[in-house]
Amino acid sequence: MNPKKNVSLIVGIAIPILMIVLVAISIYAPALFAPAPRINFLYVAGNDYYPEQPYAVEHGTVVKREVKYPEHYTPGVVRFFLHDTSANEDRELSFEEAQKLKLNTNGKSSEGYEVVYGNTESGFFPWFFAGGTDYNAMYLKGHNTSKKLNLQSQGDGRYYYRNRHFLGWIR
Amino acid sequence: MDKKELLKQVQSLAAQQLVTRDEVTAAFDAGANSGTDVEVSPQAGISHLLYYVGGAVVFLGISVLIWQNWTALNSVTKILCTLGSGVAAYMAAVFLGRDERFEIPSRAFYFISALVMPLGLQVTLHIAGLDTGSSGTQSVVSGILLTTFLLSYLANRKTVFTVFNIIFATWLFFSFTSFMVGGNPYFKWEFWAYCVLCVGLVYALLGYSFSETSQHALTGSLYGFGALCFLGAALALGDWNPHQNIFWELAFPGLVFGVMFLSVYLKSKAFLTFGSLYLMGYILKITSEYFAQSLGWPLALVLTGLGLMAIGYLHFNLKKRYLS
Repeated sequence: MNPKKNVSLIVGIAIPILMIVLVAISIYAPALFAPAPRINFLYVAGNDYYPEQPYAVEHGTVVKREVKYPEHYTPGVVRFFLHDTSANEDRELSFEEAQKLKLNTNGKSSEGYEVVYGNTESGFFPWFFAGGTDYNAMYLKGHNTSKKLNLQSQGDGRYYYRNRHFLGWIR
Repeated sequence: MDKKELLKQVQSLAAQQLVTRDEVTAAFDAGANSGTDVEVSPQAGISHLLYYVGGAVVFLGISVLIWQNWTALNSVTKILCTLGSGVAAYMAAVFLGRDERFEIPSRAFYFISALVMPLGLQVTLHIAGLDTGSSGTQSVVSGILLTTFLLSYLANRKTVFTVFNIIFATWLFFSFTSFMVGGNPYFKWEFWAYCVLCVGLVYALLGYSFSETSQHALTGSLYGFGALCFLGAALALGDWNPHQNIFWELAFPGLVFGVMFLSVYLKSKAFLTFGSLYLMGYILKITSEYFAQSLGWPLALVLTGLGLMAIGYLHFNLKKRYLS
């Protein structure tokens, strides 16, 4: 093989390897320099498909709202969770406990993190779309890094599409 | 005349000093580097094709058998029918390949094993309790297949191994990047477009590196798929107004003309054809994206039509002058 063609073979094999290395660096390197999240947040899960939410945050506290459901509609059970970001774990709260918390409803915390749903396009081939994607997975995103949140209501991710709502950061 | 007879004849001519070492190596090099396909008679071509069609039908038969009897078959039978068949086909190919007369059927059996083994591995891992839909499992399957066929290629440099190595490596590349990225919110659809762009570039480079080797039969297809992936991804990255990416929208004509220029240099009809088709697609996209409102739809259509005619003329002339 002539040297020019040898080079093209080596470059051809090196490109995907280099791309994998760059993807790994872009995923894992920012996490080394990002500050550890400390501010916890409150979220609500349930009420699967109905667009209007029975709870909202007004003046920094959780309040109950009157929602007029259609006649034969049975709303799902709504559960409150306090997520401890440093331990990456949830604790379930009653409405009364949740009401006592003072919340900051800004999307981004003062530490520069926000709670977002994952990318639903995860995977390239159609079978990943069918089997491998957790549509309900949530991430703590900020400082060019993201961390998958270990949420108690995680198990229903395959079947319930985005039934969790961020309410606010704990002040 | 088979290979043994030919070599014996060369040996006899060398003994009589009627042929020199340089003449033999020059004839060998001319054949290896000719860059043209070996002439195959139509009958032989059809019989070769039938071997591969037969291989694909065998694969379909095994798939349908498993699909129809999924609940009736036990785990061992499922694995034997799929992975067992794949391994058996591979072993048959090895034994057939030892006799030159069965070279073509041997390739067909390698083809069957390359089609059936992925199914067998998926069935086996599913029975082992793994989620075959996950990118991690897909990485394992494609990794095993790539290792098997890469080792086979190193032991026996057949084109059929190169083809499946490229397919399995592409599969591994996409599944492993999917595994790493997962649902990471920073990675949107553009990331996959960049992956396809890379794959297109890699195919074109591999096609070029094979062009003067015994694997030169793959060059045309690799150029074709390379141009299709590379230009397709570059066009997609331009996106659509108001989310357009100005860099890719401006860079695209340069890339298309670069590919068309390369078609002359590399004497590749695939580059010229895909370059022309994508240039037509680009003109249609840009006209409807930016000029349909300002110029009015009828005038935009007239300009698009003229542009397409100009590309058709350019394509015809380049093909006639440099590639015929």
